Amino acid sequence: MIAPSVGLPLPRTDGFDKVTGRAAYVDDLRVPGCLHGATIRSTIPHGRLRRIRRDPAFDWSGFTFVTAADIPGQNVIALITDDQPALVDGIIRHAEEPVCLLAHRDRERLLAGLRAVTLECDPLPAALTIREGLARKAKIYGRDNIFKEIRIRKGEVRTAFRGAHRIVEGTFRTGLQEQLYIETNGMIAIPERGGRMSVLGSLQCPYYVHKALKRLLGVGDDRVRVVQTTTGGGFGGKEEYPSMLAAHCALLARKAGKPVKIVYDRLEDLAATTKRHPSVVRHRTAVSREGRLLGMDIDVLMDGGAYLTLSPVVLSRGAIHAAGPYRCENLAIRARAVATNTPPNGAFRGFGAPQTIFAVEMQLNRIARALRIDPVELRRRNVLRPGDSTATGQVLDAGASGPLVLEEAVRRSGWSVRRASFTKRAPPDPERASKAPRKGTASGRIRRGLGLSLFYHGAGFTGIGEVYLDSHASLAVTRDGSVEIHTASTEIGQGMRTTFAQIVGDELGLPPSMVRLAPQDTSLVPNSGPTVASRTCMIVGKILANAAADLRDALVQWAGDSPRRAPGRRATRGPWNPQQFRRLASAWVRKTGPKVFTRKYDRPPGMKWDEKEYRGDAYGAFGWGVNVAEVEVDAETFEIRVPRVDVVLEIGTVVNPLLAQGQAEGGTLQGVGYALTEEVVRKNGRMANAQLTNYIIPTTADTPEFRTTLLSNAYRHGPFGAKGMGELPLDGPGPAIAAAIENALGVSIVELPITPERLAKAIRARPAHE
Amino acid sequence: MAGSGENKTAMMRLSKFKYLAPRSVNDAAKMLADAGPTASVVAGGTDLYPNMKRRHQTPKTLIGLRRVEGMRGVSGTPEGGLRIGPMTTLTALERNATVKAAHPGLWKAVHSISTPILRNMGTLGGNICLDTRCNYYDQNYEWRRAINFCMKCDGDTCWVAPGSKVCLAVSSSDTAPLLCAIGARLHLVSATGEREIAAHELYRRDGIHFLSKRPDELLTEIVLPATNGWRSTYRKLRRREAFDFPVLGVGAWASFDGPVVKEARIFLGAVSPAPVEAAEAAKSLVGTRLEPDAVARASDLAYGPAKPVDNTDFLTRWRKEMTKVYVKGALEDLRGS
Repeated sequence: MIAPSVGLPLPRTDGFDKVTGRAAYVDDLRVPGCLHGATIRSTIPHGRLRRIRRDPAFDWSGFTFVTAADIPGQNVIALITDDQPALVDGIIRHAEEPVCLLAHRDRERLLAGLRAVTLECDPLPAALTIREGLARKAKIYGRDNIFKEIRIRKGEVRTAFRGAHRIVEGTFRTGLQEQLYIETNGMIAIPERGGRMSVLGSLQCPYYVHKALKRLLGVGDDRVRVVQTTTGGGFGGKEEYPSMLAAHCALLARKAGKPVKIVYDRLEDLAATTKRHPSVVRHRTAVSREGRLLGMDIDVLMDGGAYLTLSPVVLSRGAIHAAGPYRCENLAIRARAVATNTPPNGAFRGFGAPQTIFAVEMQLNRIARALRIDPVELRRRNVLRPGDSTATGQVLDAGASGPLVLEEAVRRSGWSVRRASFTKRAPPDPERASKAPRKGTASGRIRRGLGLSLFYHGAGFTGIGEVYLDSHASLAVTRDGSVEIHTASTEIGQGMRTTFAQIVGDELGLPPSMVRLAPQDTSLVPNSGPTVASRTCMIVGKILANAAADLRDALVQWAGDSPRRAPGRRATRGPWNPQQFRRLASAWVRKTGPKVFTRKYDRPPGMKWDEKEYRGDAYGAFGWGVNVAEVEVDAETFEIRVPRVDVVLEIGTVVNPLLAQGQAEGGTLQGVGYALTEEVVRKNGRMANAQLTNYIIPTTADTPEFRTTLLSNAYRHGPFGAKGMGELPLDGPGPAIAAAIENALGVSIVELPITPERLAKAIRARPAHE
Repeated sequence: MAGSGENKTAMMRLSKFKYLAPRSVNDAAKMLADAGPTASVVAGGTDLYPNMKRRHQTPKTLIGLRRVEGMRGVSGTPEGGLRIGPMTTLTALERNATVKAAHPGLWKAVHSISTPILRNMGTLGGNICLDTRCNYYDQNYEWRRAINFCMKCDGDTCWVAPGSKVCLAVSSSDTAPLLCAIGARLHLVSATGEREIAAHELYRRDGIHFLSKRPDELLTEIVLPATNGWRSTYRKLRRREAFDFPVLGVGAWASFDGPVVKEARIFLGAVSPAPVEAAEAAKSLVGTRLEPDAVARASDLAYGPAKPVDNTDFLTRWRKEMTKVYVKGALEDLRGS
């Protein structure tokens, strides 16, 4: 009999190969006869492409050259809207936009070839910021450069403002952020003899690439095959961009009749691929004397870049999370994604929520200061509780863990004592501080502060999204009597190979080692949807659990036995031991033929969503979190250190505590970078700091001490009660660190990242505190 | 405007070169002289190889110093003056107990360079001769081509200050300001002779020709002054606790007569193509006990010589302001607790 593995901190099954260098990433693959491909990109943000000139004096033998004219199907990267071409055809809409492609066997020749191509363009005026996009400085998308507008309404906002004790206002900004996966984007396209195009590469969503290539090449399902290779991180950065890279490789391979590989170097990857959307969020909040949120008026603007890509969905999640995990019966949210002449922004862990959660949390802190209420107490009074409804009117059940995470974080972090010891001192005066002792307390040079953020994050696709996705997942029984998982869900470092095996193993009463994973190959596995939106464990894991239950029941029945456990109850022990199962399952397949159990997504009963009005149950479940960040700020240099962050997350049943802790700490650290150092500098729409020497992410030496607590409030419709958790940890660090800096220095923080330069400016602009 | 740009990128690869591995200083010097101006020496390679990938330098011949006898290690005594081979890795220096105890300033500078992994490869000589850096230069070939290159490499204009007649790429060595401040001496050898110069004489205020060392000369030894009643320190401004090049470095040195400063030197790194001496600031310290007022006065005086330009991370104004704060911090280090 096998003890259940869900809940055990099992090491990642893919870990050993990765740390020993055995795992083969796309650039490790040796494909005979493979050409190297490269992309020629625009350097201007907007203009008319007049001509692509190839130096006639150059020896072009052995080169494959591709332009938009070589595209057999449609020149689009199919995703939501068909506005983004694979290669520029006429109009250049952003810098780094791909214009044409070259391939050659020899890399040195390829480099020489690239330098023998010149683009002749007529520049047009460019809109490089949200403001310029809104002002239609350039015509980019539709009539008004708005990719999408969303309005969420609840109650009577006007009335609420009329009856308010105070109205608090604030405008908050966040910048671009790069996903910075360790492995840059890379892909190989192999034209097969039968006419099928196989594409192998570093990606999150095999079926997104599949869909895009079919349209581009003008072919049917079976003429395109997409395979994920070992992938060195994604964080959303390999959600939609791989379709572009796959398109380029496939076009070159098709024309050359040979395999073509393109692997970006870091500079190209940083400069050309998607980033987190910059945002401007304006809040007006009507509050009562006691700090109840009577009415919220929120305006959200996001910079989508030059093409629509995933901006409407990023905007949607941002809008839904814009009011935070707080109860407010009267609210109006208006959210717009704006087109600009900059490289398209796209998916990034958190997907719009980190921006709007930063804004609402900073607004809450503002309200707390205005009313002289402790920020924890203010949150206590307003946090969503069971029975309350969210901005979209989703009524929360016992899964509303806001109060739980808040109290737990306050207790574990020692909030009251530490906060009191950091507060109540005069704001720093650079002149005076410079004469103060270096390491003082009240008026010393190093100021300490404590800040808190409270947040929630919906798991899975928004609203009816999961229904549209119609995800399928299968389990197959092999002739040797083991079980194989068939999904298109990808391992990108989050640990799904391990958690899936735990879930399926437990459902069958088998050790996870008896559960294998079929390759993420669209010719072999069903479409279980994209690996995004904190959905893999919760949504696909549940489909697999259901398939496993079917398998178990069928096998038991075949064996002439009956299930020994009530349906829906967790199988703590299977009716067989591993050896028995292996013998039985093997005999079953040999005697009665292949066994495949496929299940599809079942929408939890009672979920309702009105896409037009943005009303209803936006998500099956929310993960909940609190961050308590401690900062040390040098009052003279405004250098900021984050010595400690308490991370409290409620994520339903914790399938694998080791992996969950990794997700929690990794996501929080990514949030530390977002809060403090990560800044994309652009000159005329081109990234000027596209290198790791000056696009600054935290190093180990900058990593705070994490005190992580994982709490479980089981979600009925998740596998063994699990919720999604991948994105949740990134929502909290920005506002918690900003709040800690506010606490340390008595300034108002309104923008991320909080660089020393910005902080100095904020100090000089004091008093900003209301 | 027609014909505006195109940008083409492909994985950065090293350019082709011939690699020579001399066993002695004499052989190395001879090879360097024979190979002429298209040759370059390579120590740890942590800076040169990435630069070659970006085609900043495309030497036809590389003379690797890894196997040259006698260029590695620390010898002598602190009281008699330590002698350091330029091929000594930064990690080896960091782990050298004598260096750490007798030269805490140098130790701090070395410890602040990049990351442990790069310090395992990088050498003291390499850091002393580190190429100057700039926002418009430390980019790949395609990026630089799109701005029609810059003065330092393949172009005519200094984009940092388009009117400038000299290249303003910035000295980014952490050890340079410290070695200048303490008055270290450098031994240079060529096929035709040898000479010894003061560390500060090695550097020139020209981002392209930033070393006074002739191309045929090898740096063969770093001689630290005898320790006798002086103290030194190094302070570095950067965004992170690791990895980053300095955006400001302060090397400070003072000798004492009891608690009273007899002599002092302050060199600022990363504000100019060469380490910049803040001579007035240092002079103002003579005769003081580094009391807070004296420190504040010297810090104010150091503000003048620091003229950072738009060639690294951080806003220039910010870097200039920080000069005051960092010089103050360094002088407080010298005062001790």
